Amino acid sequence: MRKQVGLGKKKDLTADLNLTPFIDLLSTCVCFLLITAVWIEIGTVEIKQSHGTAAAASKKISYDLDLVYKTATNLQLNLKKNGKRVKSFKVQAPNEEVFQAQLFETIKTNVLTFKNKSIEIATATVTPKSIVNYGSLIQTLDTLRKNEIVNIGILSAKGN
Amino acid sequence: MKLNSSLVAADAFEKHLINRNRKKSWGKKAAVYALMLTSMVDMFSMLVVFLLQTFSTSPEIMLSKGVILPNSLTASQVKEAPVLAISKDGNLYLDQLLVGVATKVVTNPTKLINQLNQIKNSWAKNHVGIPFPGEVNLQADKEVSSVLVSQVMAILTSGQFQAIQLAVMGIR
Repeated sequence: MRKQVGLGKKKDLTADLNLTPFIDLLSTCVCFLLITAVWIEIGTVEIKQSHGTAAAASKKISYDLDLVYKTATNLQLNLKKNGKRVKSFKVQAPNEEVFQAQLFETIKTNVLTFKNKSIEIATATVTPKSIVNYGSLIQTLDTLRKNEIVNIGILSAKGN
Repeated sequence: MKLNSSLVAADAFEKHLINRNRKKSWGKKAAVYALMLTSMVDMFSMLVVFLLQTFSTSPEIMLSKGVILPNSLTASQVKEAPVLAISKDGNLYLDQLLVGVATKVVTNPTKLINQLNQIKNSWAKNHVGIPFPGEVNLQADKEVSSVLVSQVMAILTSGQFQAIQLAVMGIR
């Protein structure tokens, strides 16, 4: 009888997967990842207290911004150029949430587009007040950082 | 409904015997259990994927007791540095060790400055020829007065710790 070429013995298509090492590996992975898991993520807000380094050359006009707290939800923004105050803006709100939203809008619409020109804030300095708690101060720093103002300093204020 | 022929055909006593035999056989439990491997492997795989997604290689800093950090949307990654903490009860800790009451330390910072100088000197010994980066992590409870925090920051700045990182809870 003539042997058929290429057909040979039929191989079994169902292969058995050895599950034991697979489960071992998965269990080890689960244990390692559970031990090294981080459930509370701590971040940082970087503060630059010194003005030692020169800012990089930019086409935008560079200004400084002073944020002076009057009360916890009342803040004065002083836009400065070469140390001289150019313009002041007031932000006042009945509560913290509305205050932060208003501060964000004021910086975006009034400060960063001062005199209809796109300006750059080289440094922002926050002057805190004793009635303002640290949580509110961080919220303000967050609002500044959302507007891409990253060179932030906090003025050391006396206990008033 | 299919009726059991033996149960239908038998009289009352036989029925009782058949039922007793059945009850006996119900009580017997199989000695070998079959483990549902497919569902177990599924569960393990999902757990591994979830844990790999949440895996982080960034350095960790200890959160001091009695400190509730404020939330922040723009938080950066933590850097390894000495940790100064102001708790809600007003105590100041440097690397988990009590320095004193924060308001008193602010008026008389000699002890804190000495401890900061020790950290600076030990860093200089271990890193010869590299300028001191002046990094410090400042943890403060969200209820603490911002003026107290700024006064502590002024002490840090005077002690050449100018790169202050305010610790916050990162919100994704």
